[in-house]
Amino acid sequence: MSMLRAGFIAAIILYAAVPGARAATSVVIVEGLGGNDRYTTEFAAQTADIEAAARTLRPAPEIRIFRDTQATREDILAYLEQLGLRAGATDLLLIYLVGHGSFDEHDYKFNLPGPDLSDSDLLDAFGAFGNRNVVVINTSSASGAAHDRWQGDSRVVITATRSGVERHATRFGTYFAAALSDPGADVDKNDRVSAQEAFDYASREVTAYFESSGQLATEHARISGAAAGRIALALLGAPRTARGDPAPGPLLRRRDELAGQVDALRLARDEMPAERYQQELLQLMLELAEIEERIEQAEADGPPR
Amino acid sequence: MSMPGKTPAVVLLCFAMAAARPGDARPIHYGAVDDPSLAACDQLDWRGRRDQSADCYRALLASDAAVEIRAEAAWALNDLHGANRLFRLALESTPGDADILTRWGDLYADTHQDAEAMDIYREALAGADGHAFARLGAARVLTRSFDEAAGAWLEPLLADDSLPAGARIGAWLLVARISLENQDLAEAGKALDSADALAAASGWPPLEIYALRAAADQVGGVQPSPWIDRSLAFNPHFGDIYAVPAHFHVIARRYREAIDLYQRAVDIEPGLARAHEELGVNLLRDNQTSRARRHLEIAYERDPFSPVAVNTLRLLDSFTNFDLVSSGEGDPAAHPLVLKLHKREAPAIATYAADLAQHAIREFTQRYSYTLRKPVIIEMYPDHEDFAVRTAGMPGLGILGATFGYVIAMDSPSARSTDEFQWGTTLWHELAHVFTLEATGHLVPRWFSEGVSVLEEWRSGPQPGVHIPLSVYAAMKEDRFLPIATLDQGFLRPTYPDQVIVSYMQAGLVCRYIDERYGHAKLGEMLLAYREGLDTSEAIGRALGLDAPKFDREFQSYVETEFGAFLAGLESWRRSHAELGRLVDSGSWKRAAELADELLAEHPAYVEPDSPWLALARARDELGQPDAALAALRDYWSRGGYDPAALKDLAERLVAGAEHATAIDVLNTVALVQPLDDELHGALGDLLLEAGRPAEALREYGILLALEPHDRADAYFRLARAHSRSGNIEQSKQYLLAALDIAPGYRPAQRLLLELTRAGQDQ
Repeated sequence: MSMLRAGFIAAIILYAAVPGARAATSVVIVEGLGGNDRYTTEFAAQTADIEAAARTLRPAPEIRIFRDTQATREDILAYLEQLGLRAGATDLLLIYLVGHGSFDEHDYKFNLPGPDLSDSDLLDAFGAFGNRNVVVINTSSASGAAHDRWQGDSRVVITATRSGVERHATRFGTYFAAALSDPGADVDKNDRVSAQEAFDYASREVTAYFESSGQLATEHARISGAAAGRIALALLGAPRTARGDPAPGPLLRRRDELAGQVDALRLARDEMPAERYQQELLQLMLELAEIEERIEQAEADGPPR
Repeated sequence: MSMPGKTPAVVLLCFAMAAARPGDARPIHYGAVDDPSLAACDQLDWRGRRDQSADCYRALLASDAAVEIRAEAAWALNDLHGANRLFRLALESTPGDADILTRWGDLYADTHQDAEAMDIYREALAGADGHAFARLGAARVLTRSFDEAAGAWLEPLLADDSLPAGARIGAWLLVARISLENQDLAEAGKALDSADALAAASGWPPLEIYALRAAADQVGGVQPSPWIDRSLAFNPHFGDIYAVPAHFHVIARRYREAIDLYQRAVDIEPGLARAHEELGVNLLRDNQTSRARRHLEIAYERDPFSPVAVNTLRLLDSFTNFDLVSSGEGDPAAHPLVLKLHKREAPAIATYAADLAQHAIREFTQRYSYTLRKPVIIEMYPDHEDFAVRTAGMPGLGILGATFGYVIAMDSPSARSTDEFQWGTTLWHELAHVFTLEATGHLVPRWFSEGVSVLEEWRSGPQPGVHIPLSVYAAMKEDRFLPIATLDQGFLRPTYPDQVIVSYMQAGLVCRYIDERYGHAKLGEMLLAYREGLDTSEAIGRALGLDAPKFDREFQSYVETEFGAFLAGLESWRRSHAELGRLVDSGSWKRAAELADELLAEHPAYVEPDSPWLALARARDELGQPDAALAALRDYWSRGGYDPAALKDLAERLVAGAEHATAIDVLNTVALVQPLDDELHGALGDLLLEAGRPAEALREYGILLALEPHDRADAYFRLARAHSRSGNIEQSKQYLLAALDIAPGYRPAQRLLLELTRAGQDQ
């Protein structure tokens, strides 16, 4: 069976447009046509991994998956429009496009049953979300053709290719989906996989694949958006539960202060002697470790009786 | 040398203008061109009167002589572009002139452009089918690439007395050279006698005859050869009188002797580019890098068309990308080693390679009662073509490793896939060569050196077990093994595509047979015999008390006993093996398991990537029989199976079954196949740490970090943990800080830092 039509994964996170509501996350996963058994199975697996990752997020996101006959251009755009109307000002939207894509030197298209979804379609849809944080992850072939058009303030764009010329089916999607549950992707060990971390992990795996197989790389992923390192796509490990109230506020505030001091110290690293940097880092880390220990103890003990 | 593999081809040619000065030995043409003025210059040249001949050629070039004659003069002055231009011009005036075309073809052949030369020779022959010198040129070119089609061009020249004497001289010289390379001194002698008679009768210089006679004396053990003095008397500047015999030293892997002769060649003929080039290549084999570079640069300057000089100089330039790692210096229990490893691989490979090499040296020192006298140099190339250039001066070589004495060059683990290359086994193989070469002063025949190396792979190498490809079994069934006295020909002049690999396996089995039937000491006795200059028949006679034909009969009987039953059913086994693959693909697990069991009952030693052991393991898993699957993987590994994915699977199962010690051994096997795997070293380090072996765990974690893993915080934490278990508290804290610098919220690292700090405060 030929696999001519490319698709892409679009995940759109929609924002609950309830005035005064806590910031919500919406996840939309669009699984396009596979074209043959191999890619159909592969895309289904990616979608499953992404969905599982989305379900780890807190507060629990609204998740909508478009696949098979439900994945029509009309339905997807209608849903996005509706989300745009509902989204709260601080809501977060994650959009995954899983499938094949194509580029005819003018337009990028994501392969769906029936009419394809174009980059213009989604650009219009993104417009409905205004300044809200939107993360678009498109792992399809030729997805890079849409990258520049989709860039914008408050928007993180991840594409599996750097341009529309890279037309082969990509490996990036599988690695990206795997990153969302791999502690090895959580480089800063904060028990969450950010968009940047997942991108770095998947890019590295793609490079390693082509190097080990002795082939020229047919895909080069791209990422843009300053918030990529701050937005979590998945949480790792068992959620911490307390038997009672969370740790006392002062401990948590002190932890945040220390974390801020560590960040500030790291930014100033190049302006100080290495030995002093190490000494100051050590002091901060020791205190941070003690605070974390006390927080864990407090959470384990529960509220005082 | 180690087993053949893929052979991609890349040829670099560099075109630079050469200065018009006395040429680099324009070959003697023996009458392919006939002009009195040119002949006068040639006579001076052939007598070694270089300055006079140069003046003569310059005058000829400036004269109004025929264009093609002036082309010859330019060629003689090493103005190769000028010669090319003049030949082309000459052909514009007389298109299709077979004589001019032939000389033009000779120019291309002389400048290493064989394909173009052949095209021109064919063009000459299209117009003059029997043109003797064109046939000779074509035969020379084809002989260079061991193309058997050369015979068809050569035969008529040898048989037809009516052909020009010069062409026939050239043909006999070619026959003599080929015969010498085949070590057929009798045939070589006859050919040289024929050439000599023709040269004497027709007045052509005897220099090339003298050179080949000197080579024949060398091959036959006659030293010093009287032909050298005769040549020097005729022409005191004929460098080939030394360079030609030097070539035969190289064939016999006597690189130091070759270096000496090539040096003498360039001493008397400083412009002999070929000799400079060979001198450079062989100095490199002897690890004399600076001196090698000097001569290669001279060769390149004199002959910019030679891809060998260009490739090798570029290789030398790339040495800045390599680290030199020493091992064993100052350690009385170890042998000095120098590992030349690519910078990006050195951290991962150095320790493994050094440990393996030291282990091999200890084994072979004891087994062969020979102590190495110099440090061993081990070079590993991640780019296979660099290794090929290092070995042969040209890319496109199909071997995995080569030994030049104390210098080993081989592919590094990243040069090839693990299906075709297991670096630890290759290193083991090459180290055995160091012993057989040095213990015999490089007099060991190729087959015996390969045989010992293969035997040691099977017996004591990282993947022990007799591993013979199915294609070799097919050759055994077709009775393609060679008599022991001529087994070297299977390596040097293969007559069918698989003959080299068949010869490797035959050599290994011969050594195995001697070892089992007569005792290992006999292999050592054969080495001693070779050192004394005995040939194979004599060595077998002395060591085993047999003549070669009787040995052949014994060996044949051994092969029938060992493999007869399997060979009888080989075709059926192969068909069943193919059927097993189909059953696995279709998911017919029950039948696949049954068939795998049948195949393994007949031939359990087959552990290639398509081994029935692996199919059996998978089938048992699919049938819900994990214990049986584990048993299959364990058997696969114990018989020398090396597939990294299968072994990692085995290790995981062993860990799950609390067999950590065995899991460690399995992962160590993986490291000798696929060492550049950060996850492997992390997992192995964890097991070692848990087993109370923190020093070894530190080694693994160090390699993990050196491989620049994605999760560096985790790598630092592992190092910190291992250091703390080893009592290295300060180092542990440093690594913890490194981890926390990347991941400030990393709780395990925070906890350990607190623990170590508090422990320090309590003391």
